[in-house]
Amino acid sequence: MSGSRRVDEKRRNLLKAGVFAAGISFIGVSRSTLMSMLKPVSLSEVLGVPPRRETEETLARKAEWKEERIKEWCSRKVEEICREYGEGSEECAEARRRCEAVKVKATPARQGVAFAMALDVNKCIGCRRCAYACVMENNVARNNGIEWIKVLEAPREGEAIDFLHAKLDYTDAPKEDMVYVPVACMHCENPPCVMACPVRATWREPDGIVVVDYERCIGCRYCMTACPYGARHFNWGVPEPSVLELNPNMHILGNVPRQVHVVEKCTWCIHRTRDGGIPACVEVCPVGARVFGDLNDPESPIRRVLEEYGAFVLKPEAGTRPRFFYFFGPARTPAAKEGGGEK
Amino acid sequence: MSVGEVVETVKYVVREGLRGGRAYYGLLLGLLVMAVYGVYVWVGVQHAPIFLRSEQGGLVLTGMSDSVPWGLYISFFVFWVGVAAAGIMFALGAYVFNHPGFRKIAVLGEVQAVAALIVVLLLIIADMGRPLRAMVLMPLLPNFPRSMLGWDFVVITGYLVINLVGYLYTVGRYREDRSLSARFLVPFVIVAAPIAIGIHTVTAFISQALTARPYWNTALLAPRYVATAFASGPALLLLVLLLAERSVKGFRVDWDVYRKTIFVTTGALIVGLYFTFSEVQELLWYTTEPFKKAQLEVLLLGRAAAWLSLLFWLWIALGVAAVILALIPSVRSTRGGVAFIALLTVIAVIGEKTLTIVLPSYIPDSLGQIRPYTPTPVEIVVTIGIHAIGFLIYAILAKPAIRAIMTHYKGASH
Ligand code: SF4
Ligand code: SF4
Repeated sequence: MSGSRRVDEKRRNLLKAGVFAAGISFIGVSRSTLMSMLKPVSLSEVLGVPPRRETEETLARKAEWKEERIKEWCSRKVEEICREYGEGSEECAEARRRCEAVKVKATPARQGVAFAMALDVNKCIGCRRCAYACVMENNVARNNGIEWIKVLEAPREGEAIDFLHAKLDYTDAPKEDMVYVPVACMHCENPPCVMACPVRATWREPDGIVVVDYERCIGCRYCMTACPYGARHFNWGVPEPSVLELNPNMHILGNVPRQVHVVEKCTWCIHRTRDGGIPACVEVCPVGARVFGDLNDPESPIRRVLEEYGAFVLKPEAGTRPRFFYFFGPARTPAAKEGGGEK
Repeated sequence: MSVGEVVETVKYVVREGLRGGRAYYGLLLGLLVMAVYGVYVWVGVQHAPIFLRSEQGGLVLTGMSDSVPWGLYISFFVFWVGVAAAGIMFALGAYVFNHPGFRKIAVLGEVQAVAALIVVLLLIIADMGRPLRAMVLMPLLPNFPRSMLGWDFVVITGYLVINLVGYLYTVGRYREDRSLSARFLVPFVIVAAPIAIGIHTVTAFISQALTARPYWNTALLAPRYVATAFASGPALLLLVLLLAERSVKGFRVDWDVYRKTIFVTTGALIVGLYFTFSEVQELLWYTTEPFKKAQLEVLLLGRAAAWLSLLFWLWIALGVAAVILALIPSVRSTRGGVAFIALLTVIAVIGEKTLTIVLPSYIPDSLGQIRPYTPTPVEIVVTIGIHAIGFLIYAILAKPAIRAIMTHYKGASH
């Protein structure tokens, strides 16, 4: 308990720095003074409703069951592929290899970890490689047109990022006078999507990852209405993942193939990060604009950039307290021309 | 009422509800065909992946998208919740203010509420991606105090049960020419009135506290919902009463019921129009919320979805027209005039309460992108089918009710 309070303290200081850096101050009184007087409670504590969490055993059992199902499905597909391309073909071997390697994990959150991500708006060149890598990594069905990461192109002048003049469908980048803002799930500390879900099919894990239980979602889409960041996506049609491109490294709350009529969203590559890795988008970014890590670890890269450059969040007025931060790093990529509005 | 009496009453309702002349059977048959076709399209086309394990179909056949996740179904859901809620107005007139004219027909308010609530529930089910899971999980209320949808489920099913009880009790008594006992009515009204307001309030609360949707994010949303509900609901019942007077021989409605109800609907319309006016002022005059303004521009000026602003202006135009007509004594004192005013009111509120209250929140969407929405034939057919089921139930329940009323009031009152 005291440990988590210490963690909270750190996070608050960090957020204060972030808020300050963005030049927004919500309350005149010092927040830590206020917090020492007021003890935060959550409504569910007051009303005696425990947050719905799978126990580790039930989740592990579910993962096993799911793995069997996926193997059944993909061996059927492998046969089809081998019949079509021939037994000896590369495609057949590839599909078989991927299908055999399928492993559905149920790795639980590690104690005391608080994940966060930050993105250097000065570095991002809007190439959308993160969005592409994300689709491949997370077995997002190609036929439903879902992308967990959207990259907005917005005019650079003006104080705030103006969504209404931002474009998603730009075709060439980077442009001198534009800024690129990738948006995905913000893994909010105070997520309205979790509040909205009538059946607790979506919740926030102890390490801060907001997940969806695809076996439980009833497809009412209230969470999509409640999310201020357009981060949740619906499988409007039957998803058809391709075995030839299947990522066999899966997590039951992450990139297992989805079903029709359920919601899905970014999970910060839960199948990688829970095992100590970094998300695919962070890995693939050609300019290194993305930083990921544990907020509670003073040595983590995320702590370093946030402490050094400060951070801001999108739509702070929505009150969701995102764990995804944006910052302005030291140099622009590509370098701004002489006199061209350096920020 | 004993169990035996309830069973007898149900039998009576079924027997009387299914008896009638050629025109009546024609009506039932027409509605049935529409209903069956709608259900077929829902089960066999829109939800084929769920029910038939088909690889084709799915909600992708609707006009909805990640930008506009709620469309036609939820829009009409909002409207019918309002109609259901307003049934209570007749119960109040009858049992609280003890108006004999209202007492006579109050049970029809319950019929209307039952039919409207069934439409409401069916529209939600049609919209739900995984209806079977929902039927298992929703009654358990897993996220009850926090999720507004859980609240909505509770009050809507609760209100449905209350109205069914009221209906069966009233019909059961009247058909044996007995009057209603105060021992039943007092608790009935005390429970039903707050829940009636509650269903519409909770429906508005689903949307009004979402910071993600600036257009809804106003404390005026719930009052606005309730205000126009008291225009559309009673107006629809007036139309039904007029129709019943014409088609059921010997059934008369006290003229004072029409007069008083038109007062209520006109008052509600004025309040509703005033709320709209006030919202538009907030948004257009000097708002600092660009999102809200952009969403309002879609609504008012028809950017991106012209038919949407058409509906909005329909609300203003027909709403104002209905108010003006109701103010002219020579119009509101004829049955034809009342029918016309009521019709205008219902259409005006459909303009206000359906798509124009749901869609602007999604256009532009939460990332500022404009992805217009137009309902597809699949959605329209399913929606019509569900409405046909609703009207079928309305007819089958209203007929025995009118018959029971006539038994009880036998010529005693006009
Ligand atoms: S960004 Fe949206 S989906 Fe992600 S946690 Fe926040 S509200 Fe939920
Ligand atoms: S769509 Fe699924 S996850 Fe979202 S609120 Fe409905 S049941 Fe919950």
